[in-house]
Amino acid sequence: MSTPVLEVDDVHREYPGSPPVKALNGVDLTVDAGEMLAVVGPSGSGKSTLLNIMGTLDRPTSGRLVIEGVDTSTLSDRRLSGLRSARLGFVFQSFHLLETLSALDNVATGLLYRGVSGRKRRSMAQKALESVGLGDRLQTRPTKLSGGQRQRVAIARAIVAEPALVLADEPTGNLDTATGDGIVDLLRDLNQDGATIVVITHDADLAGQLPRQVEVRDGLIR
Amino acid sequence: MNWRSKLRFRDLVGTSFLGLRSRRGRTALTALGIAIGIASMVAVVGISASSKAALLAELDAYGTNLLEVSPSSSGLAVEPLPLDAQPMLARVDAVETASAVSKTNLEVRRNVNDSSIAGVTAMGADPELFTTLRMTMATGRPLDDGLGSLPVAVLGEVAAIRLGIHDLSGGPTVSIDGHNFEVIGVLDELPLNPDISRTVIVGDTAAVEILGIKPNPTSVYLRVTPEEMATTRPLLKPTANPDRPAKVNVSRPSDFLEARAEVDRNLQNLLLALGGVALLVGGVGIANVMVISVLERRGEIGLRRAVGATRGHIRSQFVLEAGLLSGLGGVLGVLLGSAITIGYARRQDWVIDLPPFALAAGIGAALVIGMLAGLYPAAKAARLDPALAVSGGT
Repeated sequence: MSTPVLEVDDVHREYPGSPPVKALNGVDLTVDAGEMLAVVGPSGSGKSTLLNIMGTLDRPTSGRLVIEGVDTSTLSDRRLSGLRSARLGFVFQSFHLLETLSALDNVATGLLYRGVSGRKRRSMAQKALESVGLGDRLQTRPTKLSGGQRQRVAIARAIVAEPALVLADEPTGNLDTATGDGIVDLLRDLNQDGATIVVITHDADLAGQLPRQVEVRDGLIR
Repeated sequence: MNWRSKLRFRDLVGTSFLGLRSRRGRTALTALGIAIGIASMVAVVGISASSKAALLAELDAYGTNLLEVSPSSSGLAVEPLPLDAQPMLARVDAVETASAVSKTNLEVRRNVNDSSIAGVTAMGADPELFTTLRMTMATGRPLDDGLGSLPVAVLGEVAAIRLGIHDLSGGPTVSIDGHNFEVIGVLDELPLNPDISRTVIVGDTAAVEILGIKPNPTSVYLRVTPEEMATTRPLLKPTANPDRPAKVNVSRPSDFLEARAEVDRNLQNLLLALGGVALLVGGVGIANVMVISVLERRGEIGLRRAVGATRGHIRSQFVLEAGLLSGLGGVLGVLLGSAITIGYARRQDWVIDLPPFALAAGIGAALVIGMLAGLYPAAKAARLDPALAVSGGT
């Protein structure tokens, strides 16, 4: 049996305050290579905290996060950053595109911290943009793109480094239903081609379209 | 496991430039603050260097080998130089020329009925003085041996202005102690001898015969072979007045001109300090703008962290961005300061001297100040919690 891409092992996350806010209360979750799953829950359920911890943007208060067999709790900022650049891809609800860069350069930013040459970054970015159906918009700036196209650029940026895991946080949250469906279809296509994808959403309909659903409520997986 | 973040240096520079390019108006205004500081410092250094270069050129033209031998003015009684001081001094080997003058207190007026006082006095001079002092004429001609006993006069530049005589048309005359003298020429500026510029020069013979002044010289001007300046100078006092060498004063007029350059240095330091203050204010401005920038760019910072930037990468990006911003101001300031120097030097008819060191230092100082100013905002950016930054909206 192969090593899972990601293992969340009894993870707790508490935010200091009076009283302290317990966002996660002992979450266990395993994601295998090639899987596509939805983490679904209402706002305040802890699903965003879970995403941040799975993406190593936040650290658990206790418990372990293992990525490709490596326990991340002992890794330095430098190592964690390296792990994100090589093995993780992020898609955000609000896209986080740089407005002064073309679509191509935005996607190439996904490789900026890999030490890859500019020429190589651009050629890989072009392939990624073609795979999300934006091969004809390479030089267009995000401000000239529709919401759905912007999210496609962001998805291309997430997959350009061929990560082990793509984490998508409410990827359709800023889009109308039809456009959102297109984005879900795209993610499913990418999954068909081998990408492991976790989608965080509060939308049960969207979650229902994915092969596996995990429900988070009050900091626990139900 | 070989998970390491790596940002190439050229990509770091490109990323920092991107931040500046994305906010052009703000970049220009912030850089302007630094530019003003650098420009003022470059202009101060450039203008004083050009002024000094001009002074040295002037010194070259008038020579540093001119000496003035005069009675020592210490004590109450001024003992005049002996009558034969000039021929004695002329006999010293290294002395090329020696010209005696007799400065007087006689007021020079436009005409005999004029009661106003222009502050112009008369001076009797050996016609050879024109050669010794390398005088040039603004208009007319100098005194010569044939004119030395006639009632004719040459006006110093300042004297001519004070007397209101601008040219020789209509045959102007001046009145000295009730005697009319015809003006035959006006001198150019005399940087080494501003006192002579304020006098009206008449022939030495005419001074004695017409004005009735004592024939003792009040000063003897000497040109000395430059190489023998040091050895000759000590000989001059006993030669001019063998009986009372202590009553003789030997000075070098070019020393005063050089001293003037030294006096200017205080002003230069003051102006440099003011430029430094402007630079500091500019640096604080950069820090300010960068702090705001970091707050506005939380999303970008979060995104960069998500795609693999380390804290160090974020810090470097912002420090370099501040440095480049300031460096841009430095380049602008050096150009502006050079333009001011060139414009000013042209107006003053100076040689343009822009020390390359000052230009390089201007840009270097701007870079360093910018990077120092960027340290705090960069640290703030690097400390930003990536989870909060990505969720903080666009």
